[in-house]
Amino acid sequence: MEVKILKLELGYIFIKDIQFSDVSKVENGTLYVNKEEVKALILEDQNFKTADVELAKPGESVRIMPVKDVIEPRVKVEGPGGIFPGMVSKVDTVGSGKTNVLKGAAVVTTGKIVGFQEGIIDMSGTGAEYTPFSKLNNLVIICEPIDGLKQHEHEKALRFAGYKVALYLGALAKDLTPDEVEVFETPNLVEGIKMYPELPRVAYVFMLQSQGLLHDTYVYGVDAKQTLTTMIYPTEVMDGAIVSGNCVSACDKNTTYHHLNNPIIYDLFKEHGKTLNFVGVIITNENVYLADKERSSNWSAKLAGFLGVDGVIVSEEGFGNPDTDLIMNCKKIEAKGIKTVLVTDEYAGRDGTSQSLADADVSANAVVSAGNANEVIELPPMEKIIGHVEVADVIAGGFDGSLHKDGSITAELQVITGATNEMGFNKLSAR
Amino acid sequence: MIITNNDWVLNKYKDIYNVVYIDGTFKDVLIAVRDKIHIGHELLTHPLGSSVKPSETPYKSVIVSDNKNYTSFDSIYMIENAIITYDKFNKDKLKLISDKVKEDLKLIDLTVLESALDI
Repeated sequence: MEVKILKLELGYIFIKDIQFSDVSKVENGTLYVNKEEVKALILEDQNFKTADVELAKPGESVRIMPVKDVIEPRVKVEGPGGIFPGMVSKVDTVGSGKTNVLKGAAVVTTGKIVGFQEGIIDMSGTGAEYTPFSKLNNLVIICEPIDGLKQHEHEKALRFAGYKVALYLGALAKDLTPDEVEVFETPNLVEGIKMYPELPRVAYVFMLQSQGLLHDTYVYGVDAKQTLTTMIYPTEVMDGAIVSGNCVSACDKNTTYHHLNNPIIYDLFKEHGKTLNFVGVIITNENVYLADKERSSNWSAKLAGFLGVDGVIVSEEGFGNPDTDLIMNCKKIEAKGIKTVLVTDEYAGRDGTSQSLADADVSANAVVSAGNANEVIELPPMEKIIGHVEVADVIAGGFDGSLHKDGSITAELQVITGATNEMGFNKLSAR
Repeated sequence: MIITNNDWVLNKYKDIYNVVYIDGTFKDVLIAVRDKIHIGHELLTHPLGSSVKPSETPYKSVIVSDNKNYTSFDSIYMIENAIITYDKFNKDKLKLISDKVKEDLKLIDLTVLESALDI
């Protein structure tokens, strides 16, 4: 049966509280979790010797560090495939039918994989304003690997533990009636041109970090390093087709939660049929090998040209050599007469006056900045720490003397998970 | 040719690739790369990391072509820009990293290098 319009309905079950209980369930907006069942689920992987689970709720004096990933619990209700295809579900194509979401809840994974630790989430105080995860009811996973486990095996085990727990929680929503439903429809190319012939055609070029241990992203389970630039339905992303194996650095890595809730995709859908015609999503990687950068950006430009779009939005992940990918994508797409808008963050120094990116070009003349990651902030002490507080001095953005005796931390914005997210996830802005 | 100050890279690849070991800092590696580029070697991997900043790691490995050809402006632009970017980061933190963290940073540098060597 030909599908001219791919439709996905997201059913939101709003979660306002999270508590431990004998029985895992969702009732009246509260997510009840059986702690022992979650611990047993994690320990199915014999790479872990211990596992524990804690709660962190909005407004609490709680600091979680080091944070690896944040994942939103979702479940397929109708339609092919399962959440996180190619990872913890089979590879069937997702993005259609119905998916339920525990909106307001998240699974947070923590753990010392390598010595320089990443990511702080403060649930209250100054730090809470810079991360979206301070507003969520978080189930925090703390697990210790068996002795001698190699870093890449630890990273993989922790990554999968996060998805498994997210699926376990998501399953609690499968038979529930959502509080609110949002519908997303993607027409195929021919239908799309017929539907809105007068609106400018816009595509989203979605750059994925792909450089090695702690710098990887997976598409249907495939390491993005190994991929050629290609296209994906925006609703496939909402079902977890793209997940994060990346945790460096905390402020601008796209957590799996960010991928599921990509604000550029959401906003393009909102504008679709009104101010623009949202044609589709091009995904492209950020490899360290220069010929790969040339190949991938050539391909993004080729696809954008083939789609005949009038403009693209390009979002980056990371800093440094991916700035070169960003500029290559921009230059080559602009050279085809297609306008670009770039979304990125900045490393403009403590005073904000240094060149923000590691690369530049005159055609990059429309850029949305997600903030200066070098900005220094003071985080007040928190009453409870989930994780390892002593790592404050060595995480990206921390420096010797970062962690003060009273438990407060002076560090760059870099340390806060999601602080300068390059999809433009956050609400803080400057005028 | 791999130009590196990471002894893990040297030990693993010295018999397989042409490894130029720099007993020095991240910047010394960038300078050595720049010197090779000016005499006609081509830059094959980007000289900056993608998230671990120059202020966070002392280790860097960069691949340039074994053979010399004409001097590539793109390569010059990239390496000179990398040095400028390097200079803007405060490196005081590097003096205080523990041996365990150093090992982890060597590992990250090695794995990123290997992603370019197709391993």
